[in-house]
Amino acid sequence: MPLKCYEHCCSSCIALANLGKIEGVIPILHGPQACTFGNQIGSMFCRPSRLLTIGTTLKKSEVIFGGEENLKQQIRNVYAQYTPKIIVIISTCVPQLIGEDVKGVSTDLQNEIPDLKVTYCETGFNHPRSTPMGNDVSWKAIVDVLEPQEVVKNSVGLLGRAGQDADSLGTLTSPLREAGITTYAFPAGHIDEMAKIVKAEFLCPLHLVPYLTSKRLRERFGSKVEYSELPVGVEGTSNFLRGVADLTGSQKLREIVAREEKRVLPRWQRIKEQFKREKIRALLVSGPANEISIGKILAELGAEVIIVPAMRNKFAQQEKKILLDRYRSQITFHEEDFDTVAKLADFYKPQVIFADFQGRVEVIRKLIPCHINENYLNEYGYDYALDFGEYFFDNLRRPVFEEWRDLMAHYGGGICA
Amino acid sequence: MPKGSERIDHPPGYPEAAKMKMKEIHKPSSFEGAVWVTQGIKDARMIFHAPPGCYMMQHMNSLCNEWHPDFYSTLVSYGDVMQGTETQLEDVLRKVVAENPKAIFIITSPVVEITGDDVEGVVSKVGFDKTITVRPPIGGSLAEGKEKAFISLIDLMDPSVKKAEKTVNLIGPTYNTFNWRADTFELKRMLSHIGVSVHTVLTADCTVSEIEDAPRAALNICMYPYDWGVVVAERMKERFNTPYVADHVPIGFRESAAWLEEIAQFFQIDAKAYLAQEMQSGLDFITTLLVTNTFFESSAALSTDNCDSYSVGIGRFLKRELGMEISLVTVGTDRAKEIVDQVCSTVLVNPSIDEKKRLFLEKAPTIILGNYYDLKLSTDLGFKNFLFADIPLIGHIFSETTPFMGFMGAKHLVQAIGNEIYTKIFIETKGEMEGIISAGEVPWELDAEKALGKIAQLLPHFIRSIAIKKLHQGADEIAVERKTKVTLEILREVALKYTPTRFKAKYSTVFAERGEEGVGEGGLEELPFQMEWDKEAQEMLEMVPSEFRAQAVSGTEEYAKKHNYTRVTSQVVDEYRRELGF
Repeated sequence: MPLKCYEHCCSSCIALANLGKIEGVIPILHGPQACTFGNQIGSMFCRPSRLLTIGTTLKKSEVIFGGEENLKQQIRNVYAQYTPKIIVIISTCVPQLIGEDVKGVSTDLQNEIPDLKVTYCETGFNHPRSTPMGNDVSWKAIVDVLEPQEVVKNSVGLLGRAGQDADSLGTLTSPLREAGITTYAFPAGHIDEMAKIVKAEFLCPLHLVPYLTSKRLRERFGSKVEYSELPVGVEGTSNFLRGVADLTGSQKLREIVAREEKRVLPRWQRIKEQFKREKIRALLVSGPANEISIGKILAELGAEVIIVPAMRNKFAQQEKKILLDRYRSQITFHEEDFDTVAKLADFYKPQVIFADFQGRVEVIRKLIPCHINENYLNEYGYDYALDFGEYFFDNLRRPVFEEWRDLMAHYGGGICA
Repeated sequence: MPKGSERIDHPPGYPEAAKMKMKEIHKPSSFEGAVWVTQGIKDARMIFHAPPGCYMMQHMNSLCNEWHPDFYSTLVSYGDVMQGTETQLEDVLRKVVAENPKAIFIITSPVVEITGDDVEGVVSKVGFDKTITVRPPIGGSLAEGKEKAFISLIDLMDPSVKKAEKTVNLIGPTYNTFNWRADTFELKRMLSHIGVSVHTVLTADCTVSEIEDAPRAALNICMYPYDWGVVVAERMKERFNTPYVADHVPIGFRESAAWLEEIAQFFQIDAKAYLAQEMQSGLDFITTLLVTNTFFESSAALSTDNCDSYSVGIGRFLKRELGMEISLVTVGTDRAKEIVDQVCSTVLVNPSIDEKKRLFLEKAPTIILGNYYDLKLSTDLGFKNFLFADIPLIGHIFSETTPFMGFMGAKHLVQAIGNEIYTKIFIETKGEMEGIISAGEVPWELDAEKALGKIAQLLPHFIRSIAIKKLHQGADEIAVERKTKVTLEILREVALKYTPTRFKAKYSTVFAERGEEGVGEGGLEELPFQMEWDKEAQEMLEMVPSEFRAQAVSGTEEYAKKHNYTRVTSQVVDEYRRELGF
């Protein structure tokens, strides 16, 4: 067991950030103030607007006698002020611990306000996998209250990971749309658009995260879930799109893939040559599942990659197998316990680390370049990979690290972090 | 055409007008230089021998930037000029002498320089010993005016004083030198840590007795070696045998350490422990999360051509120690340009405001450091992130707390720049506190959707997802308002309006290339190649929108020639693209 959690943030915070990006949905954070304040501040960076969070800020008396009335009143308040289509109760550790009847509250309020849908997700005690689970359980909560719609034959639903995917799935929806394939994206900026995911005949998860969401969509609406592989890098994106072409029988999509490969491969090849010249060993630690996707891009470029995976669900297992088959000794999955990222770094001696804040603090003062996982999201498609690859060495800012090594050797008495 | 001037088109019928040039007045002159040097001497009196208009503007400008600058004037009238200003000067001088100042400085204005009045005769007649006349040259630069005033101070200095151990003079800080108060404070602090004390600061906030005693210092330190102070230091060396140092601009950790090390070595002081302490603290600070996260993917334009020492010091610091891209620097001299060329490929010597405007747009820096004009210009152009770093200003509050020089200065610069970028981008990418998150289910045209994907790749990682959200939402809202789909045009409009300004220039390429076919062989043949290009390099032109390809060819070849490449390879194209910030 590590000495600390190396994930980006709590499930509740992620659920808040996720749901806070969808118009028509308002989350209510059900928990004590000590829990909710941190999550409110933490989620503010990535929420687009409506930055105040409604919560129950449970008191000690409510912990003893129950906080259901408080929760009900907050739901009424939110509905009266904003009239959302869906309210999602984010039930944190304390209500889960005291056995709050959150389900009962949502049923009562559903009956009290027929135009409103009230649902809930449990975000307490999700460690490990706090971050991805926060996404998955909040999406699942939405799926719980979606209405059935007529399925459109041969249509495809692209199932993303997190709220920010609502604005970045265009890189994958556009080739499908160009091929004439009816495409639904989940998430989307508005709940009406997002709700159409139930019309998709085929459901193609884009990431390892929405496992429970996919499962719930299949259970409720009979969607055919087809996880092929992460659409990242050139090979991964092409394989994913060809997989969709196979599902839908779209020759046009195959042609688009061929055209796109022709467009990107000369640049991609140049990047690979640079990676051949400058050997890179990268350590990627427990991101919001992007340690695998970014690791995949790096491996395709020729880097040696060590991944400490955050996810172990079926999608993750499938992806791991793909990566090991494809890149063999070039890729290592570190699944054993470790104490600190610093110790992993001492062991693997990477030239670059992708980790979250908690890991970065351990290695950066040793002047090892460390990128923050959370900054490397929306990693789908060809252009992301090209941009990532072309600027990879620049972004390492090696001259700056060398400058500081020299400065510390000359003036600072060496690096003693 | 002189620097800072621009030819303008004139209507037909005014052939002579075509010879006129539009002068841009944003550089202080030698008169300001002389006034600013002398007005900071606390117990002296400065008389600006000038018409009231000159006096008022000089005094008002200083009062808007300094604490309590006070000086007098002869308030020369037209009649005085016609009949000679000597009487007026004598009257004022006698009144000032009656106040018992420690010294009197008379600065002659251009009017008096033209009439050639006998200022020295008046001074002699009044007979106050410590009266110094400074005649700034008409057409002279700020630096020339300051240097001339500094040199005039030598007449006050006492050559008989004995040298005091471990004491220095700081030469250079004057009133209206940007941030002099904080920079001086910090350098004094650093010197005190190695047991060196500052004898005289020439001249901001010094006293006449300190000037008289200045030869007592064992060493002179030129704080602005690329601007002024070196000539007076040289003269003091000749007159008083006081050595000087002018090798380092103490901006950034490296140069601050090197600056202090040089002084310590002069005095044979062991500064290692103190330097190590400052550098460890610097490393701790520089490696904090938001510093590298923000600086590694940001760029800066330095419009600091009224203080070349800042251009040199800040440019090198931000580039080498923080990994920031320095996309544009303006300087006042070719000497400074030679140094700044090492960290920035676009260095302009005394550019006009129009040139700056064009380059701000072309380079689209994340932050601009400059003067009031730059702030106005950048605001007009939609740039959000700005830090004052130079004069002129329309008024600015200065204290000891915000240095750019020294170790604290390095930290302050990082703090000010980093917070400006990080917070402003955060605010710029947010909607309203109670605003809607999405305008509804809004259809997007395929071209617009693809363009949004391309734009995403142009944004720094640390704000990419929130910036894209803002663009997406903005485009949706306009489309709903116009009852249409989101078109490429709407996205272009939104991109120019909302997103972090650094990237606006780059967006144009995204919009231009949408819907285009790649370059065929025929297309390439039509391009104006002058040099030999590798096939791979030619293929890279496919990334450039067709209307910009000819320009890209000539720009790349110009770059290749400048860097002594004999043929254009993919490496050259890559280097040139990076220079442009792509």
